[in-house]
Amino acid sequence: MRTQFKLISFVLLFLVSVNPKGFAGDLFGEIISTKEEAIAFLEKIDQTKESTIWPNIKPKLFYDNLKLNLGNPGSFYPGRSTNFCGYGAVAYLVMQKDPLGYVKLMNELYDKGESSFNNNQFKPSKEIKKAAGTLKFKGVLDIRHAEQMWFLVLADKFKGYLNFFNRRFSEGDENTFWAATNLAKFDRMVNKLCGTHVSAVGSDLIKPWVKDTYNYLVKIIDNKIISLYINNRIIHKNNHDKIKFSIPTHYIILKGIRRSGNQVTLRYWDYGGDTELQISSRTLKKIIFGIITIDK
Amino acid sequence: MIRCLVLLVTISPVLLSCSTKILSNNYYQEHKGTVDSIERRYERLNATRQFSLAFTNKELSIVSLEIISDTLTRIYEFSTNEKRLADTLIKYNYDTTGIFYLIRKMQLTKVTWINSFDYYVNDLPQQLIILSIKPVTIRYLFSPPKYIALAYFRTPQSFDEKGRLLDNRRTRVIRKIKGQTFYKITDRICYTVMEKYR
Repeated sequence: MRTQFKLISFVLLFLVSVNPKGFAGDLFGEIISTKEEAIAFLEKIDQTKESTIWPNIKPKLFYDNLKLNLGNPGSFYPGRSTNFCGYGAVAYLVMQKDPLGYVKLMNELYDKGESSFNNNQFKPSKEIKKAAGTLKFKGVLDIRHAEQMWFLVLADKFKGYLNFFNRRFSEGDENTFWAATNLAKFDRMVNKLCGTHVSAVGSDLIKPWVKDTYNYLVKIIDNKIISLYINNRIIHKNNHDKIKFSIPTHYIILKGIRRSGNQVTLRYWDYGGDTELQISSRTLKKIIFGIITIDK
Repeated sequence: MIRCLVLLVTISPVLLSCSTKILSNNYYQEHKGTVDSIERRYERLNATRQFSLAFTNKELSIVSLEIISDTLTRIYEFSTNEKRLADTLIKYNYDTTGIFYLIRKMQLTKVTWINSFDYYVNDLPQQLIILSIKPVTIRYLFSPPKYIALAYFRTPQSFDEKGRLLDNRRTRVIRKIKGQTFYKITDRICYTVMEKYR
């Protein structure tokens, strides 16, 4: 019995050590493909080919962007003054879960104008194909042609009630309700693209019924990936009025949380990198509208 | 009570229709020297270590400091006379005296926010500095606040006949920054009026 147990343990240990897909992910416990597989795939394809389907995408900017995202999944930048933050967070998660799948999807979209990923069919409209590569004055997103394509394709594919009155893309819609993401839509996107179980507390208007937000987050952060749906206008105040509508505006991926006295320090991913923010426990409760937990 | 209600109902459309008015028509020319020196000082300080400053209260006594590095952005909020502000600047090797002088100048000139932005021309990075000013206004009930934003480019820009900032001379497409059309002051500096300061 004891020998059998040792044998099984040895086999399990061996399987884990030879299969990097098992526990190699930085964020996810289990990943579908590795960065190395994705790089090997990219090296085999012609990266200079122009696409008539995407008239404004420059091949060099497109493939350089894919390589950059592979090297650093945190580099996804949803752009200044856009409503792409939800898609940025989803892209960040997908790249960690299945880098090869992501690169294959993007390459096929570029080549054929349509593709599928995790049983999700992507067939972007002609307006999207024309707009990708033309977004300007959005910071470094201006020269990230793969990210422009991906964010536009995601916004075109997934719809929520916030997109009800503006469902067809027209110029400048990256800043409007066409690109907005409500909490249920975000959960759906993560679930469908990462293929993991997603649950959430909170809503688009009412804050989560959590007694102690700090302790709630601390309890789950080691076992789950946490995304927060927050009111960014409290952190990034943009006028001096005291009375403001309290609504969530931004998605972040929480990477760490600690408390010292009344000050809570959050470390999170958004806009192409990590941010460390110091706020009071009261502000923490005030800014959070949705706590999304994603299975690792 | 009923009279008050009737009065309120009568005047409310008037109040709602009034928008905030900026008292000075020529704010930049009146404060040119100070505002330009703030921009120059920020440009110099920001070149060595990147940061941005914003005042988050009306009295401009609480400052939001963003310390920006390649890997991490740190966001702090301090009262300007709080010791933690100086401690933080020292900890991250910032020119503490220079930033304190900048903060004082910004408070005196009512500059509420200063930051640098990257943008791209022919796929090459360029930089501009934006600062917002809280001007003296006449503000009616329910009308939004107004701020003047100044954009400082490093190179001369193109404008159309109405003085609107263009993307480039050839396409003649209006270039919007943060969704706003900017108007010419000089070939390198332009302005807009916004309801937000950043």
